[in-house]
Amino acid sequence: MTPVLELRGIDKSFGPVQVLHDVAFSVHAGEVTALVGDNGAGKSTLVKCVGGIHPIDSGEYLFEGKPVHVHSPREAAALGIEIVYQDLALCDNLDIVQNMFLGREHKRGIVLDEDTMEEMAAKTLEGLSVRTVKSIRQHVSSLSGGQRQTVAIAKAVLWNSKVVILDEPTAALGVAQTAQVLELVRRLADQGLAVVLISHNMNDVFAVSDRIAALYLGRMAAQVKTSDVTHAQVVELITSGRSGDLGLTNGVPA
Amino acid sequence: MRAGPSQEEIRRHNLGALLRHVHLGGPTSRAELTSRMGLNRSTIMALTADLTAAGLVREELPRETGRAGRPSLVVRPESARVYVFALDVGVDRLVAARVGLGGVVLDRRETVRRRGPFVMEEVVGPLAAFARQMHRKTRPDTVCVGAAAAFSGGVAREDGVVRFGPNMDGAEDVPFGEEMARRLGLGLPVTVGNDANLGAMAEHTRGVGVGCRDLIYLHGDVGVGGGVIVNGTLLGGHQGFGGEVGHMIVNPKGRSCGCGSLGCLEAEVGERALLEAAGRFENHSAQPYNGSGALIGRDAVRAVVDAADRGDIVAQAALGRVGDWLGLGVANLVNIFNPEMVVFGGTLREVYLGSAAQVRSRITTDALPPVREHLRLRTSALGDDATLIGAAELAFAQVLADPLEVLARAGS
Repeated sequence: MTPVLELRGIDKSFGPVQVLHDVAFSVHAGEVTALVGDNGAGKSTLVKCVGGIHPIDSGEYLFEGKPVHVHSPREAAALGIEIVYQDLALCDNLDIVQNMFLGREHKRGIVLDEDTMEEMAAKTLEGLSVRTVKSIRQHVSSLSGGQRQTVAIAKAVLWNSKVVILDEPTAALGVAQTAQVLELVRRLADQGLAVVLISHNMNDVFAVSDRIAALYLGRMAAQVKTSDVTHAQVVELITSGRSGDLGLTNGVPA
Repeated sequence: MRAGPSQEEIRRHNLGALLRHVHLGGPTSRAELTSRMGLNRSTIMALTADLTAAGLVREELPRETGRAGRPSLVVRPESARVYVFALDVGVDRLVAARVGLGGVVLDRRETVRRRGPFVMEEVVGPLAAFARQMHRKTRPDTVCVGAAAAFSGGVAREDGVVRFGPNMDGAEDVPFGEEMARRLGLGLPVTVGNDANLGAMAEHTRGVGVGCRDLIYLHGDVGVGGGVIVNGTLLGGHQGFGGEVGHMIVNPKGRSCGCGSLGCLEAEVGERALLEAAGRFENHSAQPYNGSGALIGRDAVRAVVDAADRGDIVAQAALGRVGDWLGLGVANLVNIFNPEMVVFGGTLREVYLGSAAQVRSRITTDALPPVREHLRLRTSALGDDATLIGAAELAFAQVLADPLEVLARAGS
């Protein structure tokens, strides 16, 4: 099966500092791919390259098997790639529907088409089996951390997106809410989306992922099936870029 | 010698099959039923007319089709009219619900069960009272077509007698179904099933395992129960006690189990194992419930997972240990049954999510590569109600097998 998103030989430098070296990364529909790595390994940079925030210096960017050039977040969104950042970028003083359509409002003539937006928002939340939100006209300021995360994820799914990238969605959540968000992440993939989960929590990674991509000092140490590795191996890949036959040899992919 | 099923038998079968479609799939257009059931249009029309006349379904014009041509009528289950009573007897709780055709929970009551020996009256009494309260609130045109209970113990298929309940002292050879039926006084039998078996059926028909032919459901209560579904059918075994995966021995020199053995899966990953490892166990049989103020049951398990998440190293070690044994149990099961999916329900939902790294590492090392490659590990979609929904499905079984006959009996 062709990956929905595939990167090959990606290099990226900021001035004299090379942050990504020859990175390969692929994401498949219907799967959760966990992107792991220590702080500074290049996870955020890689995601920002995917999302069109940082231009790549060299390498190939393929979407559904075709080479594409992504120069801005808008172009990434047009392909069907959505990123939910850790800060969620929600506006406290707006309600759930307004947040979900922020900057991309539906209009009927010159006025906003509130009915359509409300219906689409409700349908999306229902499709994700979200039952924790009482009213979609509630202000975001009144929501709990888990509910905010849910709204941010629903916002990303609303646009018939194909790839959804989630940056540490369970950080700072309690156990009950973490469970709900993890189940939501799993459901997105089971509904056919390609999901990328960035996380430091190995239980979260093993609970929902199908593949694990481990970055080490700006290089892709290994991209493996979760059913083929153990916790200890993944920790080794993260901390030393190598585990047994897996990973980098002298800093270069085997 | 018989040549084959009679026309009457075929009609009964088709009526049941159609009703099952709308019961499980929700409102469905006649056109869709025609293609899904592989029958011709006039047959579907006649079957629908029979079910409509009996008051089991109704037909409506769809709201919008977006397609050209005369819209096909949508067949909907009469959820508000046709219902069953579903009961759930857990170690810590008793639940009764009125569930409408189509699986809609119309009304629900729950109470805490005190831990300790099984006393028939203490279980049957509150459940019967709940059922009476709910029955009194129904409209006169409603009809109850069945009743069933999920029980945390081993239930004989033949007579519905509870034969063992390692986590409820005294629940041995108890004719629970018979007594429950007498106390309900609805003139209906109460079918009884093992709670985890019913949870497996519920997840298979309405939960995370829809469309999955081979599935194993693991249910954490105080102990660990299980249900194994093979090619769409629940494995019951010779007498109906099949699927007791909680009593699979994973550690022959391990902890002692309520069933008398050593190192059962339930003894290594059950509530007591987790709480003891986390240094949070208190012997509740020696003290009255709530007397010590310590948490028990689901709340206690959640508290350990929560503490581990916040960095409590004792809780982390306890969860890691339990996750390791759980992974070993799952590895054994998937090697034997090669399921498409393993579902963690009850308290095992939290335990799995909190120890997935250990669980899956164990599966990676201990399960056969081709078996684990396509295995999907999921948490219950029905949550705490999986066993209750399973009981409702059991209660609906009869009306789905022979809709008109059961309805005629219930209506009389």
